[in-house]
Amino acid sequence: MVPGAGLSLAAALDFGTLPSQIVNGVLNGAIYALIALGYTMVYGVLRLINFAHGEVYMLGAYTALFVSWAYGFRPDVPPDQLPESSLATLLVMMLASMAVCATVGVLIERFAYRPMRNQARISSLITAIGVSLLLQYGGGLFLPQNPPPTMNERVNPYRQTLELTLVGAPQQLSEVVEAARREFQAAERTFEERLKSEKDQFNLSPEGQRLRDAKFEAERRLRDAESKLNSAQVTVRVGAGRLAILVASLLLMFLLRQLVLFTPTGRAMRAVSQDFDSAALMGVNVDRIVTITFVIGSALAGAGAMMTATFLGTSITPYYGVLPGVKAFVAAVLGGIGNIPGAVLGGLLMGVAETLVIWAGYSQFADAVAFVVLIVVLLFRPGGLLGSSAVEKV
Amino acid sequence: MALRVRIASILAGLAGCWLLDVLCRGMLRESEQRLVVLAGLYVTLAVSLNLINGIAGQFSIGHAAFYQIGAYTAGYLAFFYYGRLPLQGVPWLIAMLFLGMGTAALAGLVVGLPSLRLRGDYLAIVTLGFGEIIRIVVQAIDLTAPTGEQVGGALGMNVEPRIRIVGLVWLFALTCIAVTRNLCKSSHGLALLSIREDEIASAAMGVQVPKMKVAAFMIGSAFAGGAGVLLAHSESFISPSMFPMDLSFIVLTMVVLGGSGSITGAVIAALTLFYVPEYLRGLKAPDGTALTATGASLVGWIVAVVAAVVVVRWLAFRFRGTARQRAMGYLATAVGLLVVGRALGWILSSVPALQQAEYEVQKLRMVIFAGSLIVIMLVRPEGVLGRHEFSWDWLARVLRRQRAREAAG
Amino acid sequence: MHVRRTIPAAVWAALIAGVLATGCSGSGDAQKQEQPSGGEAPKTSANVRPQPTAEGNKAEGDTLKIGIVVPINGDQKPWGDDALNGAQIALEDFNKQGGIPGKKVELVIGDSGSNTEQAKSAAEKLISDGVLGIIGDVTSSNTIQIAKSAFEKGVPVVSIGATNDDVTKQGANVFRVCYVDSFQGEVMAEFAHKDLGLRNVALLTDRKQAYSVGLSNNFRKHFEQLGGKIVGEEFYETKQTTFTGQLTNLKAKNPDGLFLSGYFPEVGPIVKSAKAAGLNVKFLGGDGWDSKEILNSGGEAIVGGFFCNHYNNKDTRPQVQHFLKRWKEKVGGEPGTTMAALGYDAMAVILDALKRCKSYDSKSLTAAIEETENFPGVTGDLTLKGQNGNPRKRALVVEVRPLPEGFVMRKAIEPKDLGQ
Repeated sequence: MVPGAGLSLAAALDFGTLPSQIVNGVLNGAIYALIALGYTMVYGVLRLINFAHGEVYMLGAYTALFVSWAYGFRPDVPPDQLPESSLATLLVMMLASMAVCATVGVLIERFAYRPMRNQARISSLITAIGVSLLLQYGGGLFLPQNPPPTMNERVNPYRQTLELTLVGAPQQLSEVVEAARREFQAAERTFEERLKSEKDQFNLSPEGQRLRDAKFEAERRLRDAESKLNSAQVTVRVGAGRLAILVASLLLMFLLRQLVLFTPTGRAMRAVSQDFDSAALMGVNVDRIVTITFVIGSALAGAGAMMTATFLGTSITPYYGVLPGVKAFVAAVLGGIGNIPGAVLGGLLMGVAETLVIWAGYSQFADAVAFVVLIVVLLFRPGGLLGSSAVEKV
Repeated sequence: MALRVRIASILAGLAGCWLLDVLCRGMLRESEQRLVVLAGLYVTLAVSLNLINGIAGQFSIGHAAFYQIGAYTAGYLAFFYYGRLPLQGVPWLIAMLFLGMGTAALAGLVVGLPSLRLRGDYLAIVTLGFGEIIRIVVQAIDLTAPTGEQVGGALGMNVEPRIRIVGLVWLFALTCIAVTRNLCKSSHGLALLSIREDEIASAAMGVQVPKMKVAAFMIGSAFAGGAGVLLAHSESFISPSMFPMDLSFIVLTMVVLGGSGSITGAVIAALTLFYVPEYLRGLKAPDGTALTATGASLVGWIVAVVAAVVVVRWLAFRFRGTARQRAMGYLATAVGLLVVGRALGWILSSVPALQQAEYEVQKLRMVIFAGSLIVIMLVRPEGVLGRHEFSWDWLARVLRRQRAREAAG
Repeated sequence: MHVRRTIPAAVWAALIAGVLATGCSGSGDAQKQEQPSGGEAPKTSANVRPQPTAEGNKAEGDTLKIGIVVPINGDQKPWGDDALNGAQIALEDFNKQGGIPGKKVELVIGDSGSNTEQAKSAAEKLISDGVLGIIGDVTSSNTIQIAKSAFEKGVPVVSIGATNDDVTKQGANVFRVCYVDSFQGEVMAEFAHKDLGLRNVALLTDRKQAYSVGLSNNFRKHFEQLGGKIVGEEFYETKQTTFTGQLTNLKAKNPDGLFLSGYFPEVGPIVKSAKAAGLNVKFLGGDGWDSKEILNSGGEAIVGGFFCNHYNNKDTRPQVQHFLKRWKEKVGGEPGTTMAALGYDAMAVILDALKRCKSYDSKSLTAAIEETENFPGVTGDLTLKGQNGNPRKRALVVEVRPLPEGFVMRKAIEPKDLGQ
């Protein structure tokens, strides 16, 4: 590692990968968007930063994991003994996660936040921190984490990768690749023939080594040709699963917006977020509205958690929700806290910003991006991008 | 306070530190001395955070940032300059202390400025974010030692010289307590308290709100930075993972539990929350392995705590009563909690699944922290000691009342 | 008014000065720590390791305490549990063979919690509890700090699994029972270049672990010496879960191989993510991969990957068979990672040295460990004499196959094969 590498100027930026990185960013941001929706709704209604939201997300991931185990996708099971997965399995897992998260969210609201409603704001904040820590470390006691489990990749029936070519490559390059491939296949066949009379692949006779090296040479030429082809064209690769996350986020956002704008419950939610007491005076059952808000917000987090666990295959630990939770909160602030499209916009922007920082070569600062964005937004435009530009004065 | 009493307190404090130092060096092993040092550092952190949160009424939940800044100031300076300057040993430490406090105060200035524009919970998040930025930036900085060893932010760095003097650490803690207390009793302290209660009204009364707020941040962070310097030299190794968000939350718990605004509360809570887990960690079961709690007793205690919280809230809702009656109520509930918890644990131990699930007590430490934070918020948000403060006057009053009662018969 | 303020200030200043004076001259501890020989590691020339000057611990009565620091909690728990069990089996075997007449050897356990500062304070606690020597840890970052603390106090350390070259350079009291990263990096570089025909390898390094950083550097050095090219290096951090940014950057450099020098909790997800990102390359790594867990988290993507390991359960040597039998008796099944066997060897070495001790204190123990020659360990023959703490061990290149095959040994490479 070069001394001071962290602070030196990045090497030349590789613009060829930029489209892929932006797509990466948007896909990562979709997850932040889902979690941010929960934060923004709760803040809009209760003016409370629900620190425990990240932990609800974590519980959703574990629920999805346990449901997958119930289906038979346990660890240490050889691949040929795994069952088949289907859309139905995925839906059951998602519903289970959403249900568990909604329940946990409601319990937290009822027993930790409701008693704090008439207290000073910092009391609610501290209680939220306490619940968050309790879930993290309580999970640390009871949930499997050493080593961190991952969802079996076969749970996801949609494992194809979609490739989109934005700029094609010249015909002759493809021809070169084809020729190189034929040569490589020939060399490979020769080697395979020879291998039958050899002891094993890694202890070869001189003749075997010669053929093996010839195969490698051919392979290298093939790779060279392929890489020239790749550099000449611009493609974007997207896993089908990750695309599903983006689509799901957008769909849920749309449904939520419909709910908030066009249903009586949505109207009541807007009323409560405008003025808590007046809404109560107008006959709105504020306790019920708050509960519904938590149900929806937590269920969305649960859906997001199930999707990350299944489609991204990340390791699940009790601290799974800490960093995504903070980043999603920043996303909500960025978009305008209390603003639903803002949360989604903020989430996508956060994802892109983070990935661009990694693209530029500063991967060690990727996590800091969230906090820097937060401070900048709060200092200069606390209302967020889609919110008002009024600065809160004392 | 009278000058005599003041001088006497100072002398008593110094003598106490010196005595503590001698006793620790004589009677305790190095690992136990380390615990005493850490306790002193936590006390400093709690009292300095109390200044910002409890007395000035600001929402600062990223206190670990200043701790880290102090530690890394000492670390970087030692890395570059130790051995090349005539200053060595304890004088070097004192110099580092002042420099660390200085940089931390600057950081406090940077964090304090947003407090002028931001409302409560937004400020809290900004302070948290600032702490994380510091941690990530430090982690990204790599240095190469002259010996060629990679010394990096993420890998941690060693700090020279290694100096662990119990008396010095506690002297610093006492200084922090003294300064905070004197600040409170002065006109500046009154200004801070008025800002805490109602900013607009105090501004209307002529209090220089921005200046005082930032000053509170700077003083609090300076002491946290000093504690960081002492930590760096005591442990002789620092790494960014020693200053996570959780550390800020632990210090916050200490302040909240003890009573925001009460220095005594902060000190007692810091000592309790530090020593009880350490004590539990040191306990050994008869066969010599670490002490564990069975699932049965754990469930029993959880149920008991929940029941106690419910009872206390119900009581607070129904009855008013005098302070004495309330205190008796709390005490009765606490005793009831202990009894019920133990009994439930014993009853549940006949369930084999629960009896066999074992949890190491030290893992329970953070769970207990978090739980106590929630319980305190539900039961007594102003903290155990509330706004009460220890003072010589209070002691004198109590003794006088005692003597009067005895005289009356 | 002014008088009232300045007198206390003056009193403070005078008394602080007084305390400083006491601190400087009175407290013996601070004095000792300021002396360079006890505290810092002085500048060393390449092969001469600094000698600790501190006295170390002496045995009290008939109990000889040996400390062990391993990750009993945290991400590295599989390694910690295996190493601890291995060490305990070694102690039982030692006692069965008679132990040390008239003395009882006690194993004092310290938990490194998979993080460095906890490892350091656990080691310091064990030292202050009077252990004559320490075995541990399994990771290099932790062991370097343990070694520094042990050097200050003159206590010997036998590392179980720390492979970074810097570990034993901390002092002449530091030893290990495993190979070093300069060897491991060379083995994998040779394998990549000759046996896999790779010429353009990308590195993905865990910047938070001294082991990963060191191994990547060693691989790079040897691979470039052989004529290969390192097309790019990206970094991640322990406990990170998304790697798409780094992988996309590396993919653009068109590598034919990806060297992952980190630990198994991250390597599995990285490989899965790499395959999904379209990186059709050979995956290589070091002994940090060694855990069956990698088959779960790496899924199909990691099948066909190669890494470097310490020993193999299918070895036919009598020491291995005996170890496997004892493991089955005590723990059941087979050990999941090589840390079990390494833990056994570390404990066996220190017990053997204890037996040869002239007197039961840290200094003699260090000297006796240094004299270890041709000790028949489970993981191979161990000679520490004149080796600067690094035994000449062979490395195994292992291929990852799906269950039930698991890890299959493909090549065994001795130091002399590489001209060392």
